Amino acid sequence: MVSMSVDLGGLAMKNPVTVASGTFAAGREYADFVDVAKLGAVTTKGVSLHGWEGNDAPRIAETPSGMLNSIGLQNPGVAHLREHELPWLAGQGATTIVNVSGHSFQEYVDVISALEDAPVDAYEVNISCPNVDAGGMTMGCSCASVEQVVAMCREATARPLIVKLTPNVTDITEIARAAESAGADALSLINTLLGMAIDVRTRRPLLSRVVGGLSGPAVKPVAVRMVWQCSQAVKIPLLGMGGISTGADAIEFMLAGATAVAVGTANFGNPFATMEVIDGIRAWCEDEGVQDVREIIGGLIC
Amino acid sequence: MGLEDSHARVISNKQLFGSLYLMELACPSVAANIMPGQFVHMEIPDLQASVLRRPFSIFDRDEDAGVVEILYQVVGAGTRAMSAWEPGMRCRMIGCVGRSWEAPFDTKRALLVGGGVGAAPLNLFCQELIDNDVDVDVILGAQTEGALVCRKRYQDACGKEPLCSTDDGSFGREGFATVLIEEALAEAERSGKPYDFAAVCGPEPLMRAASTMLLEAGVRCQVSMERRMACGVGACLSCVVETTEGRKRACVDGPIFDAEVIVW
Repeated sequence: MVSMSVDLGGLAMKNPVTVASGTFAAGREYADFVDVAKLGAVTTKGVSLHGWEGNDAPRIAETPSGMLNSIGLQNPGVAHLREHELPWLAGQGATTIVNVSGHSFQEYVDVISALEDAPVDAYEVNISCPNVDAGGMTMGCSCASVEQVVAMCREATARPLIVKLTPNVTDITEIARAAESAGADALSLINTLLGMAIDVRTRRPLLSRVVGGLSGPAVKPVAVRMVWQCSQAVKIPLLGMGGISTGADAIEFMLAGATAVAVGTANFGNPFATMEVIDGIRAWCEDEGVQDVREIIGGLIC
Repeated sequence: MGLEDSHARVISNKQLFGSLYLMELACPSVAANIMPGQFVHMEIPDLQASVLRRPFSIFDRDEDAGVVEILYQVVGAGTRAMSAWEPGMRCRMIGCVGRSWEAPFDTKRALLVGGGVGAAPLNLFCQELIDNDVDVDVILGAQTEGALVCRKRYQDACGKEPLCSTDDGSFGREGFATVLIEEALAEAERSGKPYDFAAVCGPEPLMRAASTMLLEAGVRCQVSMERRMACGVGACLSCVVETTEGRKRACVDGPIFDAEVIVW
């Protein structure tokens, strides 16, 4: 019997697997396939204070071993999440991470404040979305703004605070250290890589907003590298993601230093992907004689 | 009815004309539960570098045999791979997804308009209307005679020839299907037997023009919206359609929408 539970910066997870924000809504859409209580946590779609319309369609384009998206954080606002989704998740017995978005530093704080008495187990502060003009990635690219927004969120809550980092920076370890020093309990990485694709027949971009975030197996080596770099740069635990679709993929991230992992794009092709990743991690541990999944974390031999 | 990820097996797969293909698949759960206008989200297992499924409407079904038919057009890598599938090929499909066509219960006369491969999601609906003793007229538009691959099927269902138009004039009326809609509306008015309902599926410019004409004539109208889709279950917000009630998901809020809410 393998012990599967992990502690992600104060967030107790029954196994190391959550979902990447934005790929799973708040879990209800996948309820016919996945018992959300069996996940280490459900990470909900990014939520802002009053909701956003998102970007024009086309919002996605498939690319080799991946996809570009430019959804633009469409969401109905924090009140809707509070009233409709969080009670459902709580009723299912799910562990819940709420992904928090904002156009300004204050909006992140306001969203957190609106959720402090709601059934939320941790916050994931999204300073890394490439598809919005204000907030998002622009905030996650400089150490000064990362420190400021994380410090403000830190003051707003005693709950586990996970900060989600963008890979679209020169040195992700600097940003990781800035978030840690401002009080983050954990870091999640990577958000999507900024990309672009063109239809050569029409000479037009495949996305209405021209550029978007690349996800899927195509980005996995970049994500593993960044998790490994950050694991050496900070002491706080890491939530690794980027192209995970099998147990072996998850093990790779954990060996590189991730305490937990998130399944994102793989949910689209296979609605059972999260459950298969959990089973795959357990099977790997059994084969390798690993009694406790935490033994894998940072176990890279090099 | 909840969603299921069902196993399906190819029974036959043949080219009908040009880029149009018809595939028969054994998939009893979909054959039993599909409602007209709904779709399945299909895995393309042999496309190794592809991370997404593809949505397809169900063209026809045989519930007793547990078989469904998908009429598809080769437009990209996914459908190109499908066109090479041999009998015995297996894939999974999430079904049955989305909102179905819904005619008012007291509908006596209905008009169905299918442009190109857009004729596919109307066939089951046509059968349902006929079973409910609705007087159905069908208008089919295509580029050329050979591309009118559904003509026979609709003829069998309705017991009369569909009204056809072709871009090149090789069969039926030359030009777009909208000319035939105009004539059908004029005939309905003359005969005192107005259409209570219309359903349109095809290229967006056709759906826009057709639904505008139909709504102006006072005919309730639905359209089937197509968007690039990722999850196919309502989670990812990729496939949004602009409506007067805000952005809606084509997968689960549609694909069938009341035409008057669409912001074209």
